[in-house]
Amino acid sequence: MTDPAHVQSIATEQTAAAPPVVDVRDLRVHFKVHRGLLGSQLVKAVDGVSFAIAAGETLGLAGESGSGKSTVARTLVRINRPTDGSVLLAGAETARLSGQDLRAYRRRMQMVYQDPYDSLDPKMTIKDAIGEGLSVRGVPRARRKSEVEELLARVNLPVALAGRYPGQLSGGQRQRVSIARALAVSPEVIICDEAVAALDVSIRAQVLNLLKDIQADAGVSYLFISHDLSTLRFMADRIAIMYVGRLVEYGAAEQVFSQPAHPYTQALMAAVPDIANLGGPRPAPLPGEPPNPASPPPGCAFHPRCPLAVDLCRTVAPPLVRKATGQLAACHVVPDAPEVTP
Amino acid sequence: MTAPPEGSFLSGQLPAAAEEPAAAAELAAAYEEPGLGRRALTSLRRDPVALISVLAVVVLALVAVFAPLLAPHNPLQAYPNGLSADGAPIAPGSQFLLGTDPNGRDVLSRLIYGAQVSLLVGVVATSLASIIGVLVGGIAGYAGGIVDSVLMRITDVVLSFPILLFCIALIAITGPSTRNVMLVIAFGYWTYLARIVRGLVLSLKEREFVIAARTLGIGHSAILRRHILPHLVPAIIVYSTLGVATSILIEASLSYLGIGVPLPQASWGQMISQGQQYFQSAPWLLIAPGVALIVTVLAFNLAGDWLTDLLDPETTGARR
Amino acid sequence: MDLVADVITVEHLTVAFPAREGTGEVVRDVSLAIGAGERVGLVGESGSGKSLTARAIMRLIPQPGRVTDGTVCFDGAELGAKSAPTKWRGTKIAMITQDPLSSLNPLVKIGTQITEMLRYHRGLRRAEATAKAEELLRSVGIPDPRRTMTRYPAVLSGGMRQRVALAIAISCEPRLLIADEPTTALDVTVQAQVLTLLERMTAEHGSAVLLISHDLGVVGNFCDRLLVMYAGRIVESGPTAAVISDPAHPYTRALIASIPSLRGELPDRLASIPGSPPHGGAQAAGCAFAPRCPMAREVCRQTDPALLKISDLRTGPGDSHQAACHALGDENWNQAA
Repeated sequence: MTDPAHVQSIATEQTAAAPPVVDVRDLRVHFKVHRGLLGSQLVKAVDGVSFAIAAGETLGLAGESGSGKSTVARTLVRINRPTDGSVLLAGAETARLSGQDLRAYRRRMQMVYQDPYDSLDPKMTIKDAIGEGLSVRGVPRARRKSEVEELLARVNLPVALAGRYPGQLSGGQRQRVSIARALAVSPEVIICDEAVAALDVSIRAQVLNLLKDIQADAGVSYLFISHDLSTLRFMADRIAIMYVGRLVEYGAAEQVFSQPAHPYTQALMAAVPDIANLGGPRPAPLPGEPPNPASPPPGCAFHPRCPLAVDLCRTVAPPLVRKATGQLAACHVVPDAPEVTP
Repeated sequence: MTAPPEGSFLSGQLPAAAEEPAAAAELAAAYEEPGLGRRALTSLRRDPVALISVLAVVVLALVAVFAPLLAPHNPLQAYPNGLSADGAPIAPGSQFLLGTDPNGRDVLSRLIYGAQVSLLVGVVATSLASIIGVLVGGIAGYAGGIVDSVLMRITDVVLSFPILLFCIALIAITGPSTRNVMLVIAFGYWTYLARIVRGLVLSLKEREFVIAARTLGIGHSAILRRHILPHLVPAIIVYSTLGVATSILIEASLSYLGIGVPLPQASWGQMISQGQQYFQSAPWLLIAPGVALIVTVLAFNLAGDWLTDLLDPETTGARR
Repeated sequence: MDLVADVITVEHLTVAFPAREGTGEVVRDVSLAIGAGERVGLVGESGSGKSLTARAIMRLIPQPGRVTDGTVCFDGAELGAKSAPTKWRGTKIAMITQDPLSSLNPLVKIGTQITEMLRYHRGLRRAEATAKAEELLRSVGIPDPRRTMTRYPAVLSGGMRQRVALAIAISCEPRLLIADEPTTALDVTVQAQVLTLLERMTAEHGSAVLLISHDLGVVGNFCDRLLVMYAGRIVESGPTAAVISDPAHPYTRALIASIPSLRGELPDRLASIPGSPPHGGAQAAGCAFAPRCPMAREVCRQTDPALLKISDLRTGPGDSHQAACHALGDENWNQAA
């Protein structure tokens, strides 16, 4: 969906506030999947996604399975290569980097992973794990010990844990070590890919508070990926909702949460079992399931499940434009802002 | 309900740094896992079979190393009093504890020096095989693509030969000698480890901590060295132990066929071959090396099994 | 316990695993009762013992764990080690778990797995069983039941598999359905569907439900009564509304306060609980929550508090609001040391 108009509308959203640290434009990540002996299928995991993150800001990325949100994360840190589109880091194009330039880019964008148990090498001590990050930054060995201690203190872990192995730490502690390791290279952006989903509920709050503190302290930007809208509401300044590889809604978090424009966003919010809403009337759940990204429905991918679907939705994919409520949404039915369709 | 006290977590403040270390240290202590050494000793205590095999391996190694000190006679020397009046080998007695062979040489000393040969060949051949196997399997698994295909096809070709026949063929080309035996076994045995290492590397490559290292910007050689190799060590140890058993057996087979360790050097294989002919008249010539071989190979195999059980859980390392 | 006969009564249940130090008790002195058609929720984090409690009811504790104390009674009769499990497992008490791929046999067609249940437990003939299986699949919302019956579990999505698991569980009209984290692995919109389905099916068949989850929102919106577990003990129990709007135990209060909400005020920081939940069995004397509790005092570290009634609110079977905390009812707890 190479619609310059919608990319432009996102850009203007941003420059108003502050020049973005991360500026992703029309990112596409397509995978070829081999089926059987002969055929191969093109899976458009990410199909024309644009967003921007300002310095010190958190962009929340929400979606269910098949939405492509994890692919976006992995493409930004170049575990996957983008098929098309551009990724600008502080204004410089980075989507096609390789070799030494890629290494330098990698230092600026780090990631904290979902699985606290597998993201640390079980045979490396904590101080070696964090030290690895320091070595990338070129910190000489003599200074590493003190810097490791500083980083551990920053994530509220006792220095005594430095000599231990990950197997001796709890999930929450391991996640903090991952955060410390990411901080060791002094990145500008940290991507949190479901960073608290695997932690106990009572531990999540600790880690979320910590992330906020670090952001206030170091001015790091976050791309916070989660399927849990409540967590996103707490963490994000702006939010983007993805459905089968495309953005369906994008705007200021408070705006989106208080007045969701896209029917999918509304359904997502209605589906979250909230304890603040006990005993209230429960709307009928959204029918159907998130479609397989290998064969998405034509037109608007959401139309088979959408209560507002009309004929146009089945044939034409809606562009992401500003809606009457202020945020961007991709829907034919929801009324546009006056300047879009006069 | 009474109001929560000031400064408690319920009023939303971050716990003071002093509180966290206490809680964390207490928890950290609770997660203390016994080290590898202690676990090894505990498991040996529980499993008498494993204990005996490990001891046997240790004894064998000592015998091989201290052969010159332990052997009562020179294994290569044909003693004039080693043969009876009509030129037959002497049965086990006070002077030659396990008797003599048809050349008048002391069987016990030959047995001890044979242990040295067996172990030497076993260890050297297996080490060489491990190095080749790890290199081939590691590169194939990590690089993937066409490199992987080519290396694996080569591996498959070698694997398709039964290892003993392969070794016989190679020895026919190189000619028999102790050195060639070692080389030949190594060239036959590396394929097993290559296969296993490749599989391990393939799955390690996808582990999140390896991806995290790539994201950090760590180079490939550092990743291989720091993250991949340490996880291969348990498998390498296990297969090396089993490899020594296999090597000893192959060496014995080659020597038995007469194309292994050349005479007059002592090797259990030759001794068995020779002993076969004299089984009726001088059974000790067959029994001694036969028992030695069986015990050794069995000990290494059982010790290898025990090592597998001990080291395998450590491969994953994660505690949930 | 009440006028309405209880389907399941658990008393002083204790489950222990062999441990190097401590007692190894992962479920300690748990008592609960579930009435006919009641929906009870069991909430806790990892190490709380909630899953093992459910398995203890099914008499399915994994080795080397054992039930070392307490009884489980179904319809008044004790479920001991001797009572033939095939008579009641799957039929009177059924269970669905988090990952239906482990409860569904991946090598057997779906249709066969359902008809097997029906033929073995209800003695139906093959044709009858097939027809009933189709009907069951339709009732759980599977779009093409006849075709689905010929397929294998692995080709279905997570939501579909849970529906199949539910169909199998319901097929023999159990009196109690235990659902252990049934929606944790599902997308949020699919979770809503499965919970709605669970509600409808259990109401139609008159089954009681024991819903186990770490997600307070899920149990809060589904269950009539809640039991909060921490470190193997029940620390709070009562009607859902009471437990959530007026939690008595410091752990429950802290847990609720630490969960970000989709509506209502947005805090700057989340109230968090320092430390981590304890794991598997090793504990000192006293209240297990004391190390993390801001209100802890000496007595807390020495004696484990018993479950005390907070109110005599009677709204149904087994209904009073209880919590296990020394501070209960003591107005001056915080003023003293």
